[in-house]
Amino acid sequence: MKKILSATNVLFLLALLLELIPSKREGIEPLYYIAVVLFLGLFYILNAVFTKDKEKVETIGDVTAIILSLLIVWELATAKFDLLEKFLFPAPSVVFSLFISEWKELLKGFISSIQLLFGGYVLALLAAIPLALFIGWRKRLYRAVKPLTKVLGPIPTIVYIPYAIALLPTFKASSIFIIFIGAFWPIFINTLNGVFNVEKRIVDSAKAINVNERSMLFNVILPAAMPSIISGATIGLVLSFILLTAAEMIGATSGLGWYVKYFSDFADYPRVIVGIIFIGFVVSVITFLFDKIEGYLLRWRS
Amino acid sequence: MLKSKITLKNVSLNYSDQNNSFCAIKEISFSIKKGEFVSIIGPSGCGKSTLLSLLTGLNFPTDGYILIDGEQIQGTGTERGVVFQHYSLFPWMSAQKNLIFGLKQLHRKKSKKELEEIADKYLSMVGLKDFKNKYPSQLSGGMQQRVAIARAFAMNPGILLMDEPFGAVDAKNRVILQELLLNLWNNGNERKTIILVTHDIDEAILLSDRIIVMSASPGTVKEEINIDFERPRERSLLIKSEKYAKLRNKLVNLFYDDLIEKIGGAEVVI
Repeated sequence: MKKILSATNVLFLLALLLELIPSKREGIEPLYYIAVVLFLGLFYILNAVFTKDKEKVETIGDVTAIILSLLIVWELATAKFDLLEKFLFPAPSVVFSLFISEWKELLKGFISSIQLLFGGYVLALLAAIPLALFIGWRKRLYRAVKPLTKVLGPIPTIVYIPYAIALLPTFKASSIFIIFIGAFWPIFINTLNGVFNVEKRIVDSAKAINVNERSMLFNVILPAAMPSIISGATIGLVLSFILLTAAEMIGATSGLGWYVKYFSDFADYPRVIVGIIFIGFVVSVITFLFDKIEGYLLRWRS
Repeated sequence: MLKSKITLKNVSLNYSDQNNSFCAIKEISFSIKKGEFVSIIGPSGCGKSTLLSLLTGLNFPTDGYILIDGEQIQGTGTERGVVFQHYSLFPWMSAQKNLIFGLKQLHRKKSKKELEEIADKYLSMVGLKDFKNKYPSQLSGGMQQRVAIARAFAMNPGILLMDEPFGAVDAKNRVILQELLLNLWNNGNERKTIILVTHDIDEAILLSDRIIVMSASPGTVKEEINIDFERPRERSLLIKSEKYAKLRNKLVNLFYDDLIEKIGGAEVVI
């Protein structure tokens, strides 16, 4: 309670008091800016009240402080003093208000993008993991496949895009194909190495209790290789994001990458910024969920 | 003549690649009676762990044969339980799941509840019932070995093969685990045949009916010594007795003979 004068609190007040300065730019509706600042404040207070972990509260306070500082700079440089080109740097309120008016478009783009992303990524998981499990477990097959992965794996997936478009009937199919290829290699190669490098002791231990072939693969090798599989899946996911937006900017008529590209063609930069922020938000939510799944699957590690 | 449980006859194992052939163990013969507790000791590199892997069925002799109940080993089998120094347990399974997974290989038809009951029974026998939901990484080294021993006994094998099971455990816990092992061995309706590989001479004397001393390069049996102290053995009294001291001296000499020869030669083994 004695820390009333913390950086976060001071910045919070500062961000609100800013609105006493008259705007230099015309037609600014500061309501949206104030709403976002208040939302950040509320988020911070709720966390401070309900989170027991002191360090976590502190961290959230610091993060809030950084976001508030950026907002203040943005608001001052645009709406208040008009230091930056109005055309390229819209004021916070303009951008935030678009989130409200554009939500339907954003949702539509999100659904379209997520279908491609999960289509390609889930297919890659389903193909790469069982295949690598099967190959990695058979030493001779592993030695045969390993050099092939060294040649095929590093080919940048983007070079497949023109061919995929020619090969497949729809944009959707070719995007899923591209994401599939991009995610497949890191998952496949990591799983392969993980399976091949499972501790001999673990395998011996399983043999000593007489597990059958099926059980050996799915109950022993698969979980033992899980840390490698997860790291491959993480790289695959990051590549999927990149390929998704790249594909959408090249040939799509919907989706988040298309949204950004479409409005930048019209030089509608407020909407471009809205698209970029929204993509950042979506990616962090997906990454957050992925981390949760990882934590669950590897909960046995100390 | 009493039929032996395990018989080794001129067992040798050579590892070879294109250029070299390495003889890990050479012409080992001995037999073990049912219910006997035998320790194998010897310097590192004498092939005692290799011998155990042959008995487990993870490797096969290049010469000679091993009989169990009169039949040659075809591979691993549930009638032989194994406890290693490390990684006997699967780190992604809780203590209870480790036992259940082992039991499942044995009783394919038993229900989940039945298996859980057996697992819990054996976990309480090693004093770890309250830890059944912990993962191996959340247990101390000694506790992990207790779970491994519980799993081995839960599967009720006729033969128990142990490869330096207490090697990574501190002195105090080692004594506790040794007593636990003896209790489990004595408790059952029928004593299991146990082969224990160790480099701890006191452990070998206190636990075994017989000690097989091996020498290195190539690994071969140097001497067999019967330990005829009456059971149950009282550790504190035993170690003060003259007979114990004599026996221990003899074993130490056998053990270090080998080392001294080596240090005198080209190779030095620590």
